Amino acid sequence: MHETSIVNSIFKTLEQEFNSDKLNKMSGVYLKVGILSNIEPRLLYNAYEAFHLTNPNYHNTKLHIEMSEIKIQCEDCNHVTDVKNYRFLCDQCQRPTKNIIQGEEMLIHKVEFDD
Amino acid sequence: MSIEKSTKAARGTVQCENTNINLLKANDFVADIIKKQMAESKTLLVNITSSAGSGKTTLMQETAKRLKDTIKIAVMVGDLETERDADRIRETGIQALQIVTGGICHLEAQMIHQVLPEYNLEEIDLLFIENVGNLVCPSSFDLGEDFRVTLMATTEGDDKPKKYPKMFLTSDLMLVSKADLLPYVPFSVEAVTIDAREINHELEVIQISSTSGEGIDTWCDWLLKKVKEKKKS
Repeated sequence: MHETSIVNSIFKTLEQEFNSDKLNKMSGVYLKVGILSNIEPRLLYNAYEAFHLTNPNYHNTKLHIEMSEIKIQCEDCNHVTDVKNYRFLCDQCQRPTKNIIQGEEMLIHKVEFDD
Repeated sequence: MSIEKSTKAARGTVQCENTNINLLKANDFVADIIKKQMAESKTLLVNITSSAGSGKTTLMQETAKRLKDTIKIAVMVGDLETERDADRIRETGIQALQIVTGGICHLEAQMIHQVLPEYNLEEIDLLFIENVGNLVCPSSFDLGEDFRVTLMATTEGDDKPKKYPKMFLTSDLMLVSKADLLPYVPFSVEAVTIDAREINHELEVIQISSTSGEGIDTWCDWLLKKVKEKKKS
């Protein structure tokens, strides 16, 4: 059910950002989602398809999802660590940190329109 | 002969707009409104999350019994169906309203905002949101809360933090509940604490049992301290 909410909020957000002229020409929406966002791409694609059944206006708009891994940056030594197995520790100095620089995002980072 | 580099963008049918819009923008916008309302009335808002059946409602009842003469408490409780939980909490004599989500697996800021007019916030010191029992989706939705508290029952198994990391990453306090059952279940409080703190090193941990009363005083003291801080803010 979570995915349905997400799809609804994608279109609600786009409708706030762009006028109806542009929305009619919208051909692609690119999402960038971190693995901490609890979004499962396959389920989101399915929810997206289901959305089109009841909202035919956007059937020309394709969804693209790009997943991003978790990265943290140490506040002490500035070292950037790829987080494995959900251990939020700096690789270099072993200090724990919650300074997540990638992996939590849920962004619409690009929207394509047909000319 | 020199090759001229094209300065024009590739011709095609596509025109792009680069954005960085948060998918949950609508939710976060409403969460901010809730935050402001709570700041005005100086009401502490605590979001209680956990799996289904880990003792959230029982804890609400126990907390209400102990604190209702000291501070003014109210609860809003989310479930997919029925008003059972709100009924149980109302029996303790505090205000409790049920949010029936009708199939949605989490509470969103919009739902909280819709129910808020039913509460007289000026009079309420502590407002609990008892979220839908689910360790996944509720973790993504900011409800404008001051603190997020996650219950982790000893009957669930101590492997949960690493399985549902986002919830533990976004929580401020983990309550290890049903601690009276520790002699009968293969559950290590030490192991669960280590795992949870690998995800979130700032996470506080309190071991409680609503049945035996263990740790409930510590939990209530934690709440009273936070309520006091909110009043001063």
